[in-house]
Amino acid sequence: MTTRQDPRVLPLRPPVFLILLALSSGDRHGLGIADDVEHATGGAVELGPGTLYRSLGEMVEAGLIRGVRAPEQDADPRRKYYRITAAGRALLAAEARRLQQLVGAARARNVLTDST
Amino acid sequence: MTFGTRAQVRLFRSLLRLYPSRFRAAHGDEMTQLFVTRLARARDARAALALWTRIARDAASTALALRRAARPPRRQPGAQPAGGLEMLWQDVRFGIRHLWRTPIFTIGAIALLAVGIGANVAVFSVVDHVMLRPLAFDRIDEVVYVNQDDDDGEPSSASFPATRDMAASSVFSAVAATSPAQMTWDRAGDRVDVVVEFTTASYLDVAGLTPLRGRWFSPEHDAVGTAPVAVVSAATWRSRFDSDPGVVGRTIRLNDSPVTIIGVGPDDLSGTFAPVVTDFWLSISATVVAGQFRVANLERRQDHWYDVRARLASGVTVEQARVAMDALALRLAEEYPELNRGRGITVQPASEVRLYPEADSTLVMASAIVVTLLLLACANLANLLLVRGIGRSGEIAIRRALGAGTARVSRLFLVESLILSVVGGVVGLMLGHAALMALPMAPLPQPFSGTLDLAIDGRIAGFAVALMVATGVLFGMAPALRAGRTGVAAALRDDQRTSSIGRATTRLRNGLVVVQVAGSLVLILAAGLLGRSLLAMQRADTGVDADRLAYARTNVSTPAQDAGAAAVLLEQVRARLAALPGVTHAAASSRLPAQFSGTTTTLVEGYTPPAGTNAVELNVTVVSPEYFDTVGLPIVEGRGFLDTDIVGADRVAIVNEAAAQRFWGGTDVVGRRLRSQGQPDLFRTVVGVAGDAPVATYPEAPTRPAFYVPTGQGNVGLMYFLVRTEGDPGSLLPSMRAAVTDVRSSLTIAAQGTLASHFGAALSAPRFVARIVATVSGLAVLLAALGIYAVVAFNVARRSGELGIRVALGAQPGRVVRMVVSETMGSVALGLAGGLALAALAVRQLESVLFGVRPFDPVTFAGAVVVLACVAWLAAYLPARRAAQADPVSALRAS
Repeated sequence: MTTRQDPRVLPLRPPVFLILLALSSGDRHGLGIADDVEHATGGAVELGPGTLYRSLGEMVEAGLIRGVRAPEQDADPRRKYYRITAAGRALLAAEARRLQQLVGAARARNVLTDST
Repeated sequence: MTFGTRAQVRLFRSLLRLYPSRFRAAHGDEMTQLFVTRLARARDARAALALWTRIARDAASTALALRRAARPPRRQPGAQPAGGLEMLWQDVRFGIRHLWRTPIFTIGAIALLAVGIGANVAVFSVVDHVMLRPLAFDRIDEVVYVNQDDDDGEPSSASFPATRDMAASSVFSAVAATSPAQMTWDRAGDRVDVVVEFTTASYLDVAGLTPLRGRWFSPEHDAVGTAPVAVVSAATWRSRFDSDPGVVGRTIRLNDSPVTIIGVGPDDLSGTFAPVVTDFWLSISATVVAGQFRVANLERRQDHWYDVRARLASGVTVEQARVAMDALALRLAEEYPELNRGRGITVQPASEVRLYPEADSTLVMASAIVVTLLLLACANLANLLLVRGIGRSGEIAIRRALGAGTARVSRLFLVESLILSVVGGVVGLMLGHAALMALPMAPLPQPFSGTLDLAIDGRIAGFAVALMVATGVLFGMAPALRAGRTGVAAALRDDQRTSSIGRATTRLRNGLVVVQVAGSLVLILAAGLLGRSLLAMQRADTGVDADRLAYARTNVSTPAQDAGAAAVLLEQVRARLAALPGVTHAAASSRLPAQFSGTTTTLVEGYTPPAGTNAVELNVTVVSPEYFDTVGLPIVEGRGFLDTDIVGADRVAIVNEAAAQRFWGGTDVVGRRLRSQGQPDLFRTVVGVAGDAPVATYPEAPTRPAFYVPTGQGNVGLMYFLVRTEGDPGSLLPSMRAAVTDVRSSLTIAAQGTLASHFGAALSAPRFVARIVATVSGLAVLLAALGIYAVVAFNVARRSGELGIRVALGAQPGRVVRMVVSETMGSVALGLAGGLALAALAVRQLESVLFGVRPFDPVTFAGAVVVLACVAWLAAYLPARRAAQADPVSALRAS
């Protein structure tokens, strides 16, 4: 029933945002991305295997990320690594700004006083 | 890491099949790694379950989308909204939520299914074990039963010498003889009854199986003289020896004699009386443990104590074996004309031999009852779902208006009923298992009391699953189809009380009432007949004064003693018991009344049996002279036994009235003669006729012919000492025990009780059956009443407007009630008529298990019809009256 949106449209779907975020600090393979996402969100978000790899495929197709050869030190050369593209970086920044605006609006009305 | 990691990883891998193959090839391994990492973090089963829930949701949402994306779009988006997995998941979740919101309906429906399925699983497991399951022998098509015929020409069993003759024939590659017995196992001071089978070394060759541990008997164990050895059955090894591998070589005490265990039997080999577990197989050399008579009958051609199973030599057909055995029978008839003239030997393929043909009628009845119960449960459930479906027509109309197709709406119902039947089936399987576990405690009609091996196996579970799914589809279909047919506009316009319910549905619901009434009538009739039969059994005349008798069983002979010493010991024990305070009489007897035991082939002078050979099979009881006075049996002609009836004096016997009547027409009996077959010179003269008491079973109609011989002239070994008391016989049991050990400390009491409890135990099987049928029929009546109530309540609610108008126009409320009730009673009458017709066919099957009541007992029939009609009337009257008492104005307004 759900017709899948283009991953480049804002607001980004949470998995797309989190994957871009994970790749912003360096190349990673799928498992590394899953680990990083969990780490970055304090364990609050656990990307399902299907969601993760499906999103990666779509994002490659949309030009947000691309597959790269594994670095020398990796034990398993079959593993596919992903690198964020310039377009991906720009989109990540745009989404972050959008979120920042929203959070800023919430802050202005003291919504976050309890937790900050 | 949690339990079953590998299995879970396998499960995850199979889940990956949901994805398109290219996606799976590219990412499958990494996805599995990710799963393994997360599974490793799940500390307990709950965390693992939560992980699985997330995984399932993830897979359901992504796999489907990926598959659709991989395929060029066939239709316009929106024409057929989400299919397959995602939608099924939605339906399941919706179904569970919906069922959760109506707990009474859900619990009721699951209980109905569970009871129906559980009863069927339990009964069909028994049917499978008792009626259908073949011997677990290897290459069973080569195995035949070979047995000498009894006096009526029916295949029975064989004498041990005859089994040796059979084994000498070249048509068989192996011939095995087995003979069961009950023994007392002294298990570290705890004395338990066990079932044993004396068996030859060749049994293993016939079975074609290998022992689990140790070895089987060798040919040198096939004769008395070598050490008595035993093989413990695999089932008993597990249950009573905790699968201890050190059991081989251990010595156990059976009947107070040492026997060495040399092996654990083959896994699949059950005893002759499966599902009764044979605890030990004993070598022929171990017959000494059972007593001298067991050793003696190894050479006696008149004692047919052995069951013979043989394996055909390679290339030999059953027909060729028959020819060879016919020749052997002729040879035996020539050599031993008195014993074997006219006596055939029958060869039957193992697949054609039925072990418990006498259980058929009970099992067929039980099967019919549980199938009826299941049908009734299904009918009621269908009714429940129909009512529920009609109540939901508004919801369905909205769904359809929003674009849900007929298939989608029907599926909602189907999924819901499948959820119900799966849960009901699982609970039912557990119930069935519990019932089977409880069954070994229920005494079954059988000659040996042992443990039962009655597990649910894969086939039975498969049967239950098939039943489950069929049930779900069956009762899910009707409401689902109806829901699919409902027109959107019509359903939206009409609320649930108006006429959107078609005539067909009303007919279906009335039809269900007919089925339920008919089914429950048959069940009440069966319960009524069995109940009356049980009452007749309890009132049956035992002939003896059972309320004042107690007994204790002990063995007064040991292999080392001679017969004279045993007789002296017997009299010492008897006299000691007679001297107990509160005891008026004491006697000894080789068996109790109504006790199964072997018979003796007897020639009765002046009597020609109607068919077969010249002898009859009679039960013989060895009794001390005080026996008849003690148990209260009158001597109706001649005299009782005297202390002078001993070896050397005239050989005497006392017959029961049944024997006097059958053999000599009941007159002029004293002075007649009879003798055991094969002992031409040893006639016994009848000196008296005793009153009838049940011989082998209780109740016994007619009483079997039997005779008594005095202890002074018979074999005494394992004896029952009976005392007649002034007061409650039960209170005397401890002092009896003390008195026996007081005479000789080595004497042990293996069995003790009152005669009333002995007779009562004989009735436990019919009581058990009657109780179960009564419970089931009670349930059935309750179901029928609920069904009728639901139908009437629903009809009344639907017609409240019309009924309101009638009352408003001046109709008496009583008239309205009568009108509504009489409409339903039409269906009830139809059900009663159908039930009577069914019962006419069904009660014939009961004939063989009934005692003292005929199958077409008018009292039972009338009673059942009246009871059911009253219940049905009440179930229809209550909702009708409520409708008639409602305020007509509010009823009209509501419509």
